[in-house]
Amino acid sequence: MDDDDVGTRDTPAEVDAAFRTLRRVSVGYFVVFLLGVAAFPVLTLTLDWWSQARLVGGMSPGFLVAAFGLYLFFAVLGIAAARLSSAVEHRMLGAAEQGPDGADAAEEDTP
Amino acid sequence: MTLSSGLTLAAVLALVTVVAVVMRPRGTSTVDFYLAGQRVGVATNAWAICGDYFSAASFLGVAAAVYATGLDGAWYAVGFAAGFVPVLLFVAAPLRRFGEFSIPDFLGRRLGSERVRLVAVGVVQLVILSYLVPQTVGSGITWELLVGQGVAGLSPYATGIVVSTAVVAALVSFGGMRGTTWTQAVQFLLLLGALLWLAATVLGEGFHYGDAVERISTAPLGNPAPDGGLATEPNALHPGEPAVFGEPGARYDVLGQLALIVTLAMGTAGLPHVMNRYFTSPTGTAARTTTVWVLCLAGVFYAVAVMLGTAARELIPRAVADNAWLEELTVDGVLTVPEHALPVLGRIYGGDAGLGVVAAGALIAVLSTIAGLLLAAATSWGHDVYERHINPRATQRQAVLAGRVTTLTTACLAAGLGLLLSPTTFSASTPSIVATMVTWAFAIAGSALTPVFLLSIWWRRTTAAGAVAGMSTGVAVAVGMLVAGTVADGSVWPDLLLTPTLLAAPVTTVVTVVVSRRTAPPPDVERSWLIMHGTAADRHAVALARLVLAETRRRRREVRRARR
Repeated sequence: MDDDDVGTRDTPAEVDAAFRTLRRVSVGYFVVFLLGVAAFPVLTLTLDWWSQARLVGGMSPGFLVAAFGLYLFFAVLGIAAARLSSAVEHRMLGAAEQGPDGADAAEEDTP
Repeated sequence: MTLSSGLTLAAVLALVTVVAVVMRPRGTSTVDFYLAGQRVGVATNAWAICGDYFSAASFLGVAAAVYATGLDGAWYAVGFAAGFVPVLLFVAAPLRRFGEFSIPDFLGRRLGSERVRLVAVGVVQLVILSYLVPQTVGSGITWELLVGQGVAGLSPYATGIVVSTAVVAALVSFGGMRGTTWTQAVQFLLLLGALLWLAATVLGEGFHYGDAVERISTAPLGNPAPDGGLATEPNALHPGEPAVFGEPGARYDVLGQLALIVTLAMGTAGLPHVMNRYFTSPTGTAARTTTVWVLCLAGVFYAVAVMLGTAARELIPRAVADNAWLEELTVDGVLTVPEHALPVLGRIYGGDAGLGVVAAGALIAVLSTIAGLLLAAATSWGHDVYERHINPRATQRQAVLAGRVTTLTTACLAAGLGLLLSPTTFSASTPSIVATMVTWAFAIAGSALTPVFLLSIWWRRTTAAGAVAGMSTGVAVAVGMLVAGTVADGSVWPDLLLTPTLLAAPVTTVVTVVVSRRTAPPPDVERSWLIMHGTAADRHAVALARLVLAETRRRRREVRRARR
């Protein structure tokens, strides 16, 4: 670990602010994830159409979601959460190393 | 064993051996042996994580569970895929930024306690062993089908266990994390290739997914019973009615569905062989991006596995008349061991070569997961126990040797336990013995490790005493419920007992929080926070990589100019 480097480059206040924002982002996406997964058994119990209707090629909506839909949901959720988290970190941390237009100083130094 | 299946098996083993030899560790340092020098790229690490994670439970078990219980079997696939969402949201980036070698190492350093480290080593070993045993069972099943013969007086099942465990133990001891990463990446690509080949073959032969679901859902779902006939599965959601393939209820009621998914989703973040992989990423951001890749690859893999389980249920009964060899594997057209679903499908449509491809895929799944688990065991014993407590003055060479010895010892133990278990003993009581046994590992990890892990990353007030109390409680509750669920037949909530995380994880969290509030947090918590949630080290690594890249380009230009 580069402990000493870390200590001199990110200030505790910056890290704390970024941590709180990331925690909000993660918890928000996690709630969406839980609602998406928990919706399945709720719909199974409350909506006959969910299990008994026949949609694409004879599959019920429930079967379609379990066979394809949930994996797509996880992937989209993951991509969105990763992009937002990385953007938050980029904007909130390392300000001292960025130029006035937001470009990385390290990048500017690169020949 | 036929010539084609023998050649397939030999080719697979030769390929992974070559990769392990070529990619063996270049140095003798523990960072090289355990963490591949912390320079594994996003795509390679994503493939290696998939190789680690997609075990016999994923390859044989998911299709088997869908084959035996229809839509309810798909919950295994959903739960296995869902597990990477919490990892992405809460664990991947901070875990990598904090660094270290293993889960016990992370917890020990973060909470400043050797006691935490040792308790975590105990829990990690329990998880590893629970995960290893079903892999050895899977290798026995595959050998039985692929080779069909034993050596040195052993049964085919026992030979499969002994041979696969010995081969992987030798490769891991030799290749370390660097060799294992590349063999797992190659193994995953081969595994995915085998699955996609089978799916393409089945679809090419005229299989229509939607029509098949509709057709097999018109009759009650039946599976072989102990009396030798077929028994209709009862409907857990609508008591008194028979279960149907395309609708939920063949295995789980609402609470059971939820308990299974929570157990699998929470367990992933506590699996030592998967989490150790994140320490090999160069930065926290790379670890996060790796998880996105894994989520996408998992989606493809499990969607195809669920389709093939359905295809097996539809196509195998029709194939019995034309394939006499199926008679000894089936009862009225239904397989007695659901894990045979994919290999049998391969043989029906591809002959012996098809069986060879699928069985090689299954063997690859087993080998790559066993490799990851053995390496995780070596890391926690070799680094967290030997280097820290038994021989603190150990040289790098001695520490690596300790890791290699641990690898071999754990392999012997897992093979021994695998030999004691036979899949036919359990097939009547579980949709897939391999998938069910893996669930036990997820249950212990999700109940004892994940809550403590998440609190250590996201709650400053977590203390060593809280973590020890939480992990101990989690293990006790999870193991207690698993034992009660296995022993007490006909209990009120059998599914909740066998997938205990829904209850055990909240208990662990409450115990950790309550004890932590009564004790003092480690003094250097702010420093840990800067490392875990700051990105300075990431930026440093990226800037350094850019400089190295620029320097390499400059030197190449100079060489070109000098040649002119």
